[in-house]
Amino acid sequence: MRVLVGLSLALGLSLVLAQGLLAKALETVATERADRQAFVSLRALEDLVQRAGGKGDSVRAVVSAWQQQLPAGSAVRVIAFSGIQLEASTFPEDKDDRAAPRRLSREEKPLYDRGQRLRAAVETNREEGTARKLEVEAEALPNGGRLLSAPVEVDGSVVGLVELATPPLKAPLVPSKGALAMWLLLPLALCAGASFVVRKQGLLVIASVVALVAGVGGYASYSLGMLDAQVRETQTLVAGQLRAMSERAQAVMAERQLAAEPALQPGNWDADQFRRPLGLVTPAGAVNEAAVAARVAELRSGASRALGGLGALALAVLLFIGMGGLARTVETVVEHRTAYAYIAPAMVGMVVLVFFPFFYGITLSFTDSNLYNTGQSITDIWVGLRNYVEILGDFSIAKRAQDGSIVFNYLNFYYTLFFTVVWTVTNVTIGVTVGLVLALILNVQGLALRPVYRVLLILPWAMPNYITALIWKGMFHQQFGVVNHVIRMFGGQGLAWYDTPVSSFLTVLATNGWLSFPFMMVVSLGALTSIPAELYEAARVDGASRWQQFTAITLPALKPALVPAIILSVVWTFNQFNVIFLVTEGEPSNSTEILVTQAYKYAFQRYRYGYAAAYSTVIFGILLLYSVVQNRVSRATEAA
Amino acid sequence: MKNLRLMIAAMALCALGLLSTPASAQPKELVLWHGYRAEEKAALEKVLKQFNDANKGIVVKPLAVPYDAYADKISATVPRGKGPDLFIFAQDRLGGWIEAGNTVEPIDFYLDDAVRKRFIPTTMEAMTYRGTVYGLPLNYKVVTLIYNKKLVPVPPKTSGELVTMAKKLTDKKAGRFGLAYSYGDFYYHSALMNGFGGGVFGPGTTPTLNSPQNVKSVELMMKWAEKDGILPAEPSSALITSLFNEGKAAMVFSGPWFLGEIAKSVDYGLAPLPTLDEAGGKPMRPWMTVEGVYISAPSQNKDAAFEVAKFLTDSAAAKVLALEGRQSPANQGVYSDPKIAGDAQLKAFRDQVEVAVPMPNVPEMTMVWSPATSAMNGILKKASTPKAALDVAQKAVAKDVAGLRKK
Repeated sequence: MRVLVGLSLALGLSLVLAQGLLAKALETVATERADRQAFVSLRALEDLVQRAGGKGDSVRAVVSAWQQQLPAGSAVRVIAFSGIQLEASTFPEDKDDRAAPRRLSREEKPLYDRGQRLRAAVETNREEGTARKLEVEAEALPNGGRLLSAPVEVDGSVVGLVELATPPLKAPLVPSKGALAMWLLLPLALCAGASFVVRKQGLLVIASVVALVAGVGGYASYSLGMLDAQVRETQTLVAGQLRAMSERAQAVMAERQLAAEPALQPGNWDADQFRRPLGLVTPAGAVNEAAVAARVAELRSGASRALGGLGALALAVLLFIGMGGLARTVETVVEHRTAYAYIAPAMVGMVVLVFFPFFYGITLSFTDSNLYNTGQSITDIWVGLRNYVEILGDFSIAKRAQDGSIVFNYLNFYYTLFFTVVWTVTNVTIGVTVGLVLALILNVQGLALRPVYRVLLILPWAMPNYITALIWKGMFHQQFGVVNHVIRMFGGQGLAWYDTPVSSFLTVLATNGWLSFPFMMVVSLGALTSIPAELYEAARVDGASRWQQFTAITLPALKPALVPAIILSVVWTFNQFNVIFLVTEGEPSNSTEILVTQAYKYAFQRYRYGYAAAYSTVIFGILLLYSVVQNRVSRATEAA
Repeated sequence: MKNLRLMIAAMALCALGLLSTPASAQPKELVLWHGYRAEEKAALEKVLKQFNDANKGIVVKPLAVPYDAYADKISATVPRGKGPDLFIFAQDRLGGWIEAGNTVEPIDFYLDDAVRKRFIPTTMEAMTYRGTVYGLPLNYKVVTLIYNKKLVPVPPKTSGELVTMAKKLTDKKAGRFGLAYSYGDFYYHSALMNGFGGGVFGPGTTPTLNSPQNVKSVELMMKWAEKDGILPAEPSSALITSLFNEGKAAMVFSGPWFLGEIAKSVDYGLAPLPTLDEAGGKPMRPWMTVEGVYISAPSQNKDAAFEVAKFLTDSAAAKVLALEGRQSPANQGVYSDPKIAGDAQLKAFRDQVEVAVPMPNVPEMTMVWSPATSAMNGILKKASTPKAALDVAQKAVAKDVAGLRKK
């Protein structure tokens, strides 16, 4: 019974999803078909408009001649950049006082902007020798038609834009419900039949798996066959369109006496969005079988992968239900329902706010994502481990100058790592020392005004740390900063604090020291007050000195409180973004950058998101390693 | 029953509200962000008030954003439609915003020849990215020659004059120098670099850091520092300020930001940077930063926003911003106004801007700074020859740029 329910659920789920995918794919194919046919027409027109010089009466004549052979409900227009003109238009709204030629009105700004966008795209791609920006655009119209735009080039520069609006598209082919029902019910019936014959649970599961594979496989072959036929039909239609447009263009050229040289190149009309010929149709207007076969094979492998994925999902569902996994899970959830209800909101929060960004970041680190290609899909910009190799494989940390001094490469990962470690160690040392000393002072018996001191000393911690950081940055200002002011009061020369790596480092050290001691002080103070006074009394009776008391009683008693605080503080300091980012900004020339600020700069100043993600993942790795080692060590100390 | 009645009443109120909105014709409210403080802010607000008084249908509300977070705030808010309708910023981030998309609205469409001709041509160039105009230039900042009138009665016209004059005024033992500027800073070095006809990018944004012209310009700088010895060692900006204020530096290359730091006792003058004998008498051409008024792409009131931008950049507004805000307007008509023509500071920057080069606004520019600064440091510390150091920088920048473009 369980097996049957599992099979019907798994099969139903996968087939409904497959049906959805197929419908989507058919729609894409239909849109592509319409777009390609329309583009052939548009590019032929573009060619004629170019020959007609891009503007003037001859363009209007070409456009009206072209309109005659377009299907009813289509319209074309030509826009010239010089004078922001609507040169020619067969759109129904451009009549009477709005008839071409005229200047574009303010509501038509998007039109002009689109033209300029295409011009910039053509120029950019040409300059860079890449295909990075779309050179033609296609969008859906509210009435269900398509609006296509292509640039007009005269003498090598883009001077305008041609646009073609198609009539509403025919509804795309819908996958039949019959096939769905057949591939759903047939395996179910088979499996049900089997259940009467076979009594053993294990065999039944195997039978159901076979039924599932048969069902999904059967539907897959149905949908692949359908897609295949559609794609091939598209090629035939486009080829026909190409022949027709080519003839038509020749006729218009002869009629309007346009320059016949260079000869028309209809092969270029059927092109991708970067105006690179697709090659699926020959210039003569025949279907290029080899290219089409390759295209179909590519499509098939993509579709099979999607369907294979669906099948795997379905199999997982089937086995989960069939083997009794679901029953057990439901049982557990029902039994501990209060507990699950309580953690559910936190779990959702964690998934959305922590796990998703985390895994997204890791995925991004394997890509070459940057400012220019954010629109592309992840598979297109996948580079594998290249970012990691670039980061970890670069060992040019420093080189020797002529005069023997060492010049560091501040952008190198290992330099930054070294700086980060130095920064962490010095800061934690300062924090612990100052915090402990102050705690010891505050812990003196009978100290007057102790609450006042305590509040004053905790204040640096209570202030938002970016405010503190900005104040310290101001204090180290060369001209107006209070530090230089004091130096000058004693007759010294003020220092340009942010001009050398060492002095720059001192400024952040001071800032972070100021920020970190209160935490250590509070922790130590709490632990200090819990040490029984009798211990010291006994030590005094035994004649121990103050120092001996400190090392033998105070420090060991503080250890359980201090060790976790230090572990925490190391992680905080390692990732102390605010202080470095606000106080030194990495000056001079990235020498005081820690790993996190460097990663930020890679992402938002050098616009290399993938590289920055890899950088962050490396940082995560380092901290993970640290906490694992730290755990081992502290467990060992606890055991001792 | 009571609930129902309340609901009906509420619905009626809503309906009334809906009806009355179109009737009352609320003035359009536009928000403008800027990073100005003190007198600049006051001047801008004054101009905006004039606009609000003159245009009853539109109200512009300025908002001063602290400069440190300004650029990031625009990058984060504007593409999501949470930003202002207009914002004022320098051109250096323009390319990045355009490539990121949905941030800056192209305004070519609105521009007629009268508006285009209103501005100093190079400032308009700074607002243009890949052939499309994205903002109206408001003001510019440029490096020029600032000299102590007591020490330099007549400012030098050529680099030859500059060196002879500076040599006479230099006395290293007494800590006196003829010339002082942050020659290790690539931004300041740009004047020499562009003067020789060099630059950081060739056509198609291919980096050209190690071009022969750039090498020559660095060699000339090294000659000034080493052989002629007219420059102080390790020129931090604090050092330059204190030298100039103590009368120990006769001439300084710096921009308007330096003027505020000059002590009251120093009588200073401004003059264009000298021409370069070494480059066949061509002028030194510093980089300039141009602040523009941009319309944000998701704004609902682009037409009105453009009117504001146009108003802010016309002659009357430029005059207020120049005289009260102490900015150098990009509007060229305003310089024929007698009050502005008589202002030595504004006139000097206007003369200098004739030969200035807008700092590249392409996003690739952010990749230049670190390698270029490292190269300059290496050269000054004699760690490598100018050619070798620039070769290294070129390689680094080319790698970063190629990293962006890789398919």
